[in-house]
Parts: sequence; structure tokens; C-alpha cells
Amino acid sequence: MSQPITESMSQRIKTTRDDHLIAGFTALAITIHIAESALPSPLPGIKPGLANVVTLLVLCRYGWQMAAWVSLLRVLVGSILIGTFLSPAFFLSAAGALFSVAALGIMVVLSRMLPSWAPGPIGLAVVAALAHMTGQFWLAYGLFVPHSGLLGLYPLLMSLAALLGILSGWLTRTVLSRLNSLPEK
Amino acid sequence: MRRWGLTRGDSVVLLLAFILVAGLYVKYWHSDGHGAETLVLLDGKPWARLNLFHDHDLVVPGPLGESHIQVRDGQVRFTASPCANKLCVHTGWLKQGGEVAICLPNRVSLQILASDPRFDAINF
Repeated sequence: MSQPITESMSQRIKTTRDDHLIAGFTALAITIHIAESALPSPLPGIKPGLANVVTLLVLCRYGWQMAAWVSLLRVLVGSILIGTFLSPAFFLSAAGALFSVAALGIMVVLSRMLPSWAPGPIGLAVVAALAHMTGQFWLAYGLFVPHSGLLGLYPLLMSLAALLGILSGWLTRTVLSRLNSLPEK
Repeated sequence: MRRWGLTRGDSVVLLLAFILVAGLYVKYWHSDGHGAETLVLLDGKPWARLNLFHDHDLVVPGPLGESHIQVRDGQVRFTASPCANKLCVHTGWLKQGGEVAICLPNRVSLQILASDPRFDAINF
């Protein structure tokens, strides 16, 4: 947009600092999301969820609203780039993201009501992971494979989600403490 | 707890998550895909309802005599019957939801109850 010729043709959209942060963090999350989609997985629906580390970072540093943007944009744009947009994988991913964003919203509200009981990154990550798996699982059960045999997998998937949630929470905490020790721009 | 950098809230969340997941195992792994219960009918009326995962030996007094029913390892069968052709005994073990074994002469029947029956209807 540096060429002056285009200036008369294009209307500049005012962007805020938050918009830039959302764009930057979403790009980071998408990169991780795509890199992760190349990893083989022992069970469908099980992924380390490293892209959620970015969501949690944004939540802890900039609040819920920005985290919601980053999470949902990541699922949308990531699926377009991988080529799964509007496929079952996309809907599962989107349901998971919606559930985890909603659950994180509830946690934020609860933390505001009881500040001394506010969970840190690990607690938030576990809640997000369990909510993600729940949304994903019930969509899969309700829409794609409505067979009661699938229910037997649910406890197993939830245990793995909790463990992976602890892992991503621990990663988030590590990155956060590094970020917080940097001088604020 | 401090050493791990967990806040009080984290501990509560982890505890609740553990309880939730444990509860899910109890809820969804309690019985497998087979039927969990069998219903014994005498003269078309429910006479007994048995959990298939507890072993039982049941004697049902029908109009001809005693029908013997055995429950083992999630399955159920007729072991003896006073009727002439023993169709009920020859039906063998039942385990899938919706399966039935019937002794018409002695008016005793068995069926497997399940929320997701393997069969909708059975014709002979």
C-alpha cells in the first residue's frame, strides 16, 4: 500500500493495536496448527493442542475477547489452508474451539467473582482441553458416528485431554514467565 | 503445591477434572456394548429382572413345571425345561440386546434389555 497511485482507489480501514495483536497471534497459532496437523496421531481426535498455547497466552495477557478471536480465526483460517474447511474435521475443530472459548469465558467470570481462587495457566488449560474434547466428542457422536460403542472412548479421550491440557498449561506458563520478564513495549 | 507453581485455583480445577474423568469411567465403562439386564417373563408378565454381570441360577415355576435359567458372564440361557421339544434350551446363550428365548409350552420367555438393541425385531 506504499504506492501513492492506489491511495485514491483503496479506502484505508482504521485498525487498532488490538487488531494487529490478534492478527499476529492468529498467524502464530495457524503456523503451529498446521505444523501439528502434519504429526501422526494414535487416535483420531487426539492432538497435543499446541496451538491452544497461543490462545491461553493471549487470554492471560490480553483478556478473553482477544483470545476468542485468535482461537476462532485460527480454526477458520487453518482449515482453509489445510484444505479441511467445511469437512467433518473442520466442524469437529470448530465445535471444540467454541466449547473451549466458552468454558474459558466462564472461568474468567468465576475468577473475577473469586479472585483468590483464580486458576493459573495450568488450570485454564485443563478446562480448555476438557471443554474442547467434550464439544468435539458430542458433535462426533451426535452427527457423524451415533453409535453407543463410541461412548466407551469418551472417558479415555477425556483422560488424554486432561493430561495434554496439563502439558499445554505448563508450556503456557513457561512462555508467559519469559514474556513477562521482557520489558513492556 | 507452590513448588509446582500451582495456584489454589489450579489445584481445585485439577481435582474437579480428576473427579469428572473418574466419573466418566464409572458411567461409560460400567457395562459394555452388550445388554446389561435380562427380563424374564412368565405368562407374558415380568417375573424377574436380572443383571447379566452377576451370576444367577433361576428357577421359574411355569404351568408345566420348572424352567431353569442360568446367567453367566453377561449371557443368559435356559438350561432345562419341562417342555417336549426344548426349543428354549436349544436357543443357547443370549447376549445381544433384543435377543429372546421363548418356551411357549411352559409360558416362560427371556429377553435381553439394552438401550441400543442389536435387533429391532426377530422373526421365526
